[in-house]
Amino acid sequence: MNVHASHTADATTVEEGLAIQEAQAVHDSESATALAMQNTLLTPRFYTTDFDEMDAIDVSSVRDDWDKLIAQMESDPNKGHFKKNEDWDHIDWDGIDPELRKEFIDFLVSSCTAEFSGCVLYKEMKRRGNNKDITQLFQLMARDEARHAGFINDALREAGIAVNLGFLTKAKKYTYFKPKFIYYATYLSEKIGYARYITIFRHLEENPEYRFHPIFKWFREWCNDEFSHGEAFALLMKTDPKLTSGRNVWWIKFFLTAVYGTMYVRDHQRPAFHKALGVDPDWYGQAVFEKTSEISKQVFPITLDIDHPRWMPSLKRLQKANADLDRAKKRGGVAGSLGKLGASARAAMAFLSLYTIPVKHHKVPTETRLEPMY
Amino acid sequence: MGLLTREYETAPCTVEVSHKFESLHAHVRFDNGAVIHPGDEVLVKGPPVMAPYGEVVIEKREARITRASGVERLWTRMTGDFEFMELCEFSFSEEATL
Repeated sequence: MNVHASHTADATTVEEGLAIQEAQAVHDSESATALAMQNTLLTPRFYTTDFDEMDAIDVSSVRDDWDKLIAQMESDPNKGHFKKNEDWDHIDWDGIDPELRKEFIDFLVSSCTAEFSGCVLYKEMKRRGNNKDITQLFQLMARDEARHAGFINDALREAGIAVNLGFLTKAKKYTYFKPKFIYYATYLSEKIGYARYITIFRHLEENPEYRFHPIFKWFREWCNDEFSHGEAFALLMKTDPKLTSGRNVWWIKFFLTAVYGTMYVRDHQRPAFHKALGVDPDWYGQAVFEKTSEISKQVFPITLDIDHPRWMPSLKRLQKANADLDRAKKRGGVAGSLGKLGASARAAMAFLSLYTIPVKHHKVPTETRLEPMY
Repeated sequence: MGLLTREYETAPCTVEVSHKFESLHAHVRFDNGAVIHPGDEVLVKGPPVMAPYGEVVIEKREARITRASGVERLWTRMTGDFEFMELCEFSFSEEATL
């Protein structure tokens, strides 16, 4: 073993890479946060679904749009983009505010895990499916997700965090989602991801003094991939009108509310990150919801009324209830249990208040396809 | 598949772990065509498959599949959907404070 190698990038064998990672893990526990240690081992989730139902999808009703989208993805416009170049500024990780560092690393690790889980899910669908249209799409999406994960991983390594892919030898339980739930959740996740990244990218374009890390410069191309993935799920949903009508509209409303609400809560839990970016999380939330709603009109017959007088106050109550819930959990004992009960009830009430705001209805256009325009 | 009992089986598998800049991924493929159902558990035997940075490691291994009981499988099918938020990406972990 080459004793001089101090980074897994310089390792030449698996054993050497392992040894360096172990050594780094010790280093991480001393210098970085507990979070960095916990998440050093990537822990993606594993899913299964009704693959026969997915195989039965017939894209002939959207064939023209479908072929164009696949051709565009195959041409791979972002190939070679996710590389560090001269725009990748040097970061002084020792000089960074510890709170910001914690939150930023949480951002990197969570994003890396999400891309990685997406890759595992898409690859599984590719492997289990027999419908050529579907398997081709999932193969292309898995490629993008793995590429994004690699890029984030590189940023993490620069911060001294080693990602460990040893999770495969731990027992993994496979949970189950109906295909339609995968469509709703993944469609929204990809589109809201686009809206989140592009909003930050545009904000930093105007206010470059807040760009505390170079990764934000890559957000535009990154989110264009997310956008195309969302387009594919929009077309998939278009192939079966039942998915976006009748009782399913209530599911769509539920997903929209849950996703917007969760995003609002999570963003407010990372104040240092948003402060460093010069972003007010309330403003950011609304800006992202607005874009996501506008885009989702391509396939959903409803959008949430985010300007309703009950919207913002309910989001704030939801956030507060969540923060209280966390404090109660940490306190423990009888007082903690009572606190948990109360906070959970308040969170449920806040969610109900959001869910019962009347929606805005509109006609879904015949033409589904959109281009990223923000 | 038993209604209440779990069964175990082993399957040869190919593990691919890529720790490259271009692609960070890890996959398991069962070489005997074994299929995973809701609630099943998979464990790749042996030490962790580690790829040093910049490399792809492909290894033949054996996996232990714990088949969910009939009741467990039904339960996973019925309740799995409630975990749908797992499919959504929000940039941050759910921890309220770090």
